[in-house]
Amino acid sequence: MFFIARKSIQLIVAFFVLIAISALPALVAQMKFNPASYWEGLQQQFAQLTKLDEITYFNVTAQKEVLLLPSLQPYIQETLIIFTTAMLVSVVCAILYAYLFYRSGRRTRTLLKQTTRTLEMVPDLFWIILSQFLVIYLFKMTGYSNIEIAGTYADSIRFLPIVTLTLTTLFFFIKWLTTQVLEQESAPFLELARAKGIRPTALFWKHLLPTMIYRFYLFFRANIITILSSLLIIEYTFQVQGLFRFALYFGQMPILMVILFLIYLPIFIIDLLAEWLIPNAWKGGI
Amino acid sequence: MRRTLMKDPVFWLCLILLTGLLLLSFGNTIFRDGQVNQISNRYAEDGTFLATSPLKPSSDQWLGTDRSGNDLFQMMIEGFKWTIGICTIVAISRMTLSLVVAIPLAFRNARVNRYLKLILDGFLVLPLSLVSLLLLFSSLVFMDSTVVPPLFDRVSFELIVLILLGIPSLSLYLIAETRQLLNQEFMIVAQTLGGSPWYRFRRHIWPHLVPTLTIVFMQQFIQTLMLLIHLSLLGIFFAGTVNLYEGVMPTIFEWSSMFGYYYNQFSATSWLNHMFLVPLIGLALVVFFSNLFMSRLERAFRFRQQLKPIKLSASRAQDEAAATSMVDPFTPVALKSHHDSD
Repeated sequence: MFFIARKSIQLIVAFFVLIAISALPALVAQMKFNPASYWEGLQQQFAQLTKLDEITYFNVTAQKEVLLLPSLQPYIQETLIIFTTAMLVSVVCAILYAYLFYRSGRRTRTLLKQTTRTLEMVPDLFWIILSQFLVIYLFKMTGYSNIEIAGTYADSIRFLPIVTLTLTTLFFFIKWLTTQVLEQESAPFLELARAKGIRPTALFWKHLLPTMIYRFYLFFRANIITILSSLLIIEYTFQVQGLFRFALYFGQMPILMVILFLIYLPIFIIDLLAEWLIPNAWKGGI
Repeated sequence: MRRTLMKDPVFWLCLILLTGLLLLSFGNTIFRDGQVNQISNRYAEDGTFLATSPLKPSSDQWLGTDRSGNDLFQMMIEGFKWTIGICTIVAISRMTLSLVVAIPLAFRNARVNRYLKLILDGFLVLPLSLVSLLLLFSSLVFMDSTVVPPLFDRVSFELIVLILLGIPSLSLYLIAETRQLLNQEFMIVAQTLGGSPWYRFRRHIWPHLVPTLTIVFMQQFIQTLMLLIHLSLLGIFFAGTVNLYEGVMPTIFEWSSMFGYYYNQFSATSWLNHMFLVPLIGLALVVFFSNLFMSRLERAFRFRQQLKPIKLSASRAQDEAAATSMVDPFTPVALKSHHDSD
């Protein structure tokens, strides 16, 4: 009961904060901060809350005002597909890497550490440009043109955005997992398990990994802002018909409010699921 | 930490590269009035016309020129101090302000911290580039190039926005860090002995925070640079975007703005031309070297923690041994050890 109350308070507070953020364009005018107009903007946003279904946006293709909520569905879908696929792929790859790292000897470990440490310093932008360049180069050399480098309204672009988002997050995850593996390796519970004769494979998958999952989730949650920033810029440069790009093109305050809600809601749901589904023992409890 | 860094060649390489470029950049402003050469056409020795701008990189213009004939190498040199300066100012101000907010809050009970997290949760998931775009767009895009406000106003306005947006997350981080220190045994002892919060901060927490703060500084530095790059891609150049008949223009030579500016142009001439590659590679190198710099700092910091020398003077060692001895705490240690050896 306490859990539900706490979570609902969190959701309500977050909605208020998001409304406050969506009214930010009203705060600044001509490089001056104007609290009075911000207050008015806030009131407008709250008034808008009662008639969310009446918000419209100007659709350029149709050349007319279109209702916002029904037409947002494909944008949400596109962003969700890219985000979840990239996250799944990079989490799976990072865990496999952690396993490889755990099983390898000292020399291989040094090599792996050096390589990933260098690669993680590369900014996300470089991956975007590099991937576009490689695809064009491939097309010039072989005539293979099945990979899109920019989306249009009619056909969606998924492959390259997923690849670039995966790459940027992958090294991020790898860095954290490697330090965790190194830290946990000599933990008493692992020593005991090893002394009992459990094989290294089982040690990793049955004992080490479960203890890391909840903290890995917390790490992911703390750094989601970086991942979403990358997603924003990826959607913009690849012209993905996604939610973030929509927010950039239609920046009116009511539309922003809806989009910010839509960005926060899935994260809140993941939060809820993680707290419910991850067993207490994995969180370090009994 | 200092000793490890002194012996680290990679650290020196990063430091020399950054300071060298910075000196060149300031030199350009002082000795050449920040001038950038403009070359519109290239001629052979006998006067025959060879090419027009944008010129490809050559021995005369090392990095080539852009479409208006500006020498890209000189532009990069001139712009370096802006890019580094902005990121440094933003990072330092964010840290100072966050310290002012975080340290008093860290001394409060855990509930305040929890409430703060609850309130900021919605803000902490939104990309900073999106939020800063909301604030900056209306003020920094100028439709009319004749009514652009003075440079100082534009720069200070953008700096204020960039600094303020980073404070919430940094404060939360510093609160967590300080609270962790406050829970250490030596801090509990310091509190029991009656140290006031200010004294405990100055005497105990500050020396422990300094190494963390250097790393935080580099993180903030890189984060700001990435934010500037993202903003310039979205069409907000640093210190304002001017909308001209031909398209948008940045108002100062600054690396991230140059990148955004040429990125928007590149499809018009040819794919992957030098104009757009020069700032891209430059920025990637700055991010890379700053990351390298940070990882070396982190490494030195780790070494310091591992190899902390334990120096005990003879008398203190005796005191401690006496204190831990359970048999008879008042027997002198030297005497007791003599007995033990018998």
